[in-house]
Amino acid sequence: MKRLFAVALGILTAIGGFLDIGDIVTNAVVGSRFGMSLAWVVLVGVAGICVFAHMAGKVAAVSGRATFEVIRERLGPRMALANLGASFLINLLTLTAEVGGIALALQLASSVHYLLWVPVAALAVWLVIWRVGFEKMENVTGLVGLLLIAFAVAFFLLGPDWGELGAQVLQRLPGNEASATYWFYAVALFGAALTPYEVFFFSSGAVEEGWTVKDLGQSRLNVLVGFPLGGLLSLAIAGCAALVLLPRGIEVTSLGQVLLPVAEAGGKLLLVAVILGVVAATFGAALETTLSAGYTVAQFFGWTWGKFRRPAQAARFHVTMMICMIIGLGVLATGVDPVMVTEISVVFSAAALPLTYLPILIVSNDPDYMGEHVNGRALNVAGQVYFVLILVASLAAIPLLIVTGVGQ
Amino acid sequence: MTLPRPPRPGGGRLIDARLSLLDRQVLDASGQPVGVVDDLEVSELPEPTGDGRVRVLNLVHGPIVLERIVGGRRPKAHFERVPWSTVAKLGSAIELAVDADEVPVGWLEDWLARNVIARIPGGRHVPR
Repeated sequence: MKRLFAVALGILTAIGGFLDIGDIVTNAVVGSRFGMSLAWVVLVGVAGICVFAHMAGKVAAVSGRATFEVIRERLGPRMALANLGASFLINLLTLTAEVGGIALALQLASSVHYLLWVPVAALAVWLVIWRVGFEKMENVTGLVGLLLIAFAVAFFLLGPDWGELGAQVLQRLPGNEASATYWFYAVALFGAALTPYEVFFFSSGAVEEGWTVKDLGQSRLNVLVGFPLGGLLSLAIAGCAALVLLPRGIEVTSLGQVLLPVAEAGGKLLLVAVILGVVAATFGAALETTLSAGYTVAQFFGWTWGKFRRPAQAARFHVTMMICMIIGLGVLATGVDPVMVTEISVVFSAAALPLTYLPILIVSNDPDYMGEHVNGRALNVAGQVYFVLILVASLAAIPLLIVTGVGQ
Repeated sequence: MTLPRPPRPGGGRLIDARLSLLDRQVLDASGQPVGVVDDLEVSELPEPTGDGRVRVLNLVHGPIVLERIVGGRRPKAHFERVPWSTVAKLGSAIELAVDADEVPVGWLEDWLARNVIARIPGGRHVPR
């Protein structure tokens, strides 16, 4: 019974923790402009994060080495430092977007301007990192994040016209959109599903929770069941936007517009649920990105790290995270639009993906690290197909960003 | 490369120092990270009294990694050395036979722990 509970808890938190501000905003923007015609990217992206997270989790559980330790060891100090620079900056961008997302959601709940919520949100995130244990933090944000199921409820309440949605799925380019814009959003959706911090966090989390080979089964279940169900929520967000916003020509530029379909379908009660869900999802992701900032730097230099230690035993790790939070606060204080930061962060995430993906793919095939647990043939085929996809998306990301003027 | 006798890792296995030593994590006897192998200090070639083979004398860690990235050289007195004789096991990390406090570490961790982290309430307690 206890074991069943643990399995269920793992899967539920994987679902509730799957979405972050990048997924929420990008899926709504895409739904409102392209209907369901980019739904295939979500499916490809979710399968990609399953492959990637599964390999990173396996490496961490078998060898005890988290992702950035592996990157440093395989790429050498020079390439790894360049990699750290890129990953760290993008992670900082994502962290800023998540904290902004918490503040925007709280603004919707309270009508207090989001800039007043930003320092509150940042302080709360830091306090949780400082004082709350790893598993409790994961479980609470993951379970409350499940309230995002409100998007799926709203989708069905809206009475979708399946024929129309099906036609959108099969359609290539809707109406008046340019094909560069279409591909720009394809890359953005891919980047939102496969954000590098998720992998830093997932593998370091495996070390925090002390995973061993015995835990591989649970890890596989979390990834292979939890992530695809989380991906369905992504599709529900896009679907809601396609049903309500697309026909009226409303383009999503704020979090309020993302939640509009839920309010229309389910009224106040469902709106309360979805706002709580968004707060939990962005709060969880803010925790994960802040920790990832500390994890990557500490693992590159070989510092002590982890929430399972007293902060005084991992001083450089904790100070790094404090500095990141202060920088994120500074960026948000300039009044930059968090939704814009989010859109840019997912595109840069796509651009940086091969940097983290390739070392993991190599090491998960290295018997020195993995012993008998090296990748099987099926996983390797999937891993290599995804490497090609990731490379293409990465090379296309920045040119598309420039050509389309951030998808205008 | 020959390995000194007392704690002989892996019973005379041949390893590539660049692949299996450099840039690996170093853990102390209780599994705490003490750093990364940022550089190696090897004996001069040829060693006057020895059999002419190069020996790894010390693992070196700390800011010396910057010299591998941008070049330059620091005086040998500033090396943070981990003697090769303390190495117990080579694997996905390098495990030492000694505790972390017997290994020289930079001042930054201690300074930050004492002057920043320990002064914030809760800094000395494991998060629960």
